[in-house]
Amino acid sequence: MPISTGYIIKRIIMLFLVVLGVLIIAFIITRVIPARPELLWVGPRATIEQIEKARKELHLDKPIYIQLYYYLKDFFSGNWGVSWRTRQPVLIDILTYLPATIELAITAFLLAFMLGIVLGIIAAINYGKVVDRVISVISVIVASTPVFWLGLMLQLIFSIWFKVLPGGMRIDTDVAIATGFKPITNFYILDALIQLNISALINIIKHMILPVAVLMMYPLGLTIRTTRSLAIESLQEIYVKALQVWGLPRRLILYKYVLRNVIAPVIAALGLSFGYTITGALMVELVFVYPGIGYYIGMALLSFDYPAILGGIVFVAMIYSLTNLVVDIIHAWIDPRVKF
Amino acid sequence: MIIIPRDFLKFLTERPLYFTGFIIVLVFIVVGSIAPYILTKPEDAWGLTYDLENAFKSPSIEHLFGTDALGRDMLNRVILGSRYSLVIALSVVFLSLAIGIIVGLVAGYIGGAIGTILMRVTDMFLAYPPLLLAIALAAVLGRGIITTIVALAVTWWPWYARLMYVTVNSIKSAPYVEAAKVIGLSRWAIMARYIVPNSLTPVVTQAMLDIGSAILEAASLSFLGVGVPPPIPEWGRLISEGWQYIGKAYWISLFPGIALLLTVIGFNLLGDAIKEYMNPRLRNVTQVMV
Repeated sequence: MPISTGYIIKRIIMLFLVVLGVLIIAFIITRVIPARPELLWVGPRATIEQIEKARKELHLDKPIYIQLYYYLKDFFSGNWGVSWRTRQPVLIDILTYLPATIELAITAFLLAFMLGIVLGIIAAINYGKVVDRVISVISVIVASTPVFWLGLMLQLIFSIWFKVLPGGMRIDTDVAIATGFKPITNFYILDALIQLNISALINIIKHMILPVAVLMMYPLGLTIRTTRSLAIESLQEIYVKALQVWGLPRRLILYKYVLRNVIAPVIAALGLSFGYTITGALMVELVFVYPGIGYYIGMALLSFDYPAILGGIVFVAMIYSLTNLVVDIIHAWIDPRVKF
Repeated sequence: MIIIPRDFLKFLTERPLYFTGFIIVLVFIVVGSIAPYILTKPEDAWGLTYDLENAFKSPSIEHLFGTDALGRDMLNRVILGSRYSLVIALSVVFLSLAIGIIVGLVAGYIGGAIGTILMRVTDMFLAYPPLLLAIALAAVLGRGIITTIVALAVTWWPWYARLMYVTVNSIKSAPYVEAAKVIGLSRWAIMARYIVPNSLTPVVTQAMLDIGSAILEAASLSFLGVGVPPPIPEWGRLISEGWQYIGKAYWISLFPGIALLLTVIGFNLLGDAIKEYMNPRLRNVTQVMV
């Protein structure tokens, strides 16, 4: 076993320090940089009394380190402020919107991972041929595409021109009413499965196709590129040549020897691309009016809803740190060469 | 400025895909530099006038890229937009490169408590997913070209600081540095003469590779409404301008998006070319399993 409990405990302590760092930076951005932080906190139409009240609530009359103490205290007790737009506590909002994003991101990631490995291997075994060139060009293009623009264009083509896929939301209201679909966990696919509601499930999946297609572009490009270059390297190894000489079937060499060397680093690379996917989700959800956490932050940005913007961003940064931890552990678990 | 080795050009011309990337980048830089002088309708490009009679004209000979909601010629706006993308991306990369080099050098060479603190601060920034911190900062600072540059640079330098730190650390104990110490050169002389020149290559190369991402991130900020303000025809902003008219006048978003996509592809291809050129292991793949 390459991972020890000690390593995991060490990483969890580090995670705590990272979260602390994230919070300190967020504190500097919200409370130190703005000339009057209380104005950001209460919104544009606040009365003088409300502003005074906010000054007290944020402890702006106290020294900066006391302010930081109260900031952290509020944060860990779940008091993240109230969104001006939804008039709800930010933390509650975030937890409501979160499942949609998780559903979207996991689907996009799994598809990108599977498709990317297949295409990467195909490119590698056809190194230098037309197939390889085409796949390589595709991988560069998908990794360079501005997600918000691609989202708009797919929406234009598939939901405005050809009207084959819905251009927004998670489920059509009429379908939800007609089939009696009720969100329970807010993971809609799961909810539809629990209720054995097939027509709602189909409708939900239809709504996911375009956002997932856009969101998977970046991880797809990255997976293809990583897989391709690792597979090319691994195919040149002497032991692969030896296996060939021994007459092992090509397929067996690929699955048993080449793929094994490729998977662990690809997972590590995908973990890194998770950050891009999260910020991508912000724009994709905004374009597709897909009510996830990205949509929430995006709408907050468009309406200058600061408590929601900062709460959302800090939350996403924490998820990101947690994902990095999980990816590292998976990486160490799969790849015996990684030692900690 | 940047000297291109002659055999790099030869390397490029032998690889059509990389050469395409190089040409795209070249066109982008040239157009971005001379944009104000090649506009046919400068007042449309700068967005100073409007002509509602000509609003939402689809692409035609007269208006190759069509016109926007205020009747302004999109071709002119897209051309001028290249200049903003170029200026913002270069400023972001150079600014963060400068900060990153200094922080990484101090942390790596001087080390000690200062070094540890600097690198911990760097790690704090790196804990944020890319772009997200820039969004928060830009939202607080307000819209503007300068604030966009600052917001991106503030969140970008840690990558270079870390890379510089690692490089300096690996050079610090190289035999020629030890030799310089033995002959009695001062710390500053060693830093100026040996450490700095020998540790710049990786970080500067990385910065060159990142210009495409910088363009994309600046456009993303503008698309989200926290980047460059109207009426500046930055590409991300133009795409977001067309957003609400997408069913009615798709060309408002289409053409700036194509310009943006091509430019980023160009920089990414050139980046791949530089990486492959500098890494002989990638260059000489002769034979793969048959």
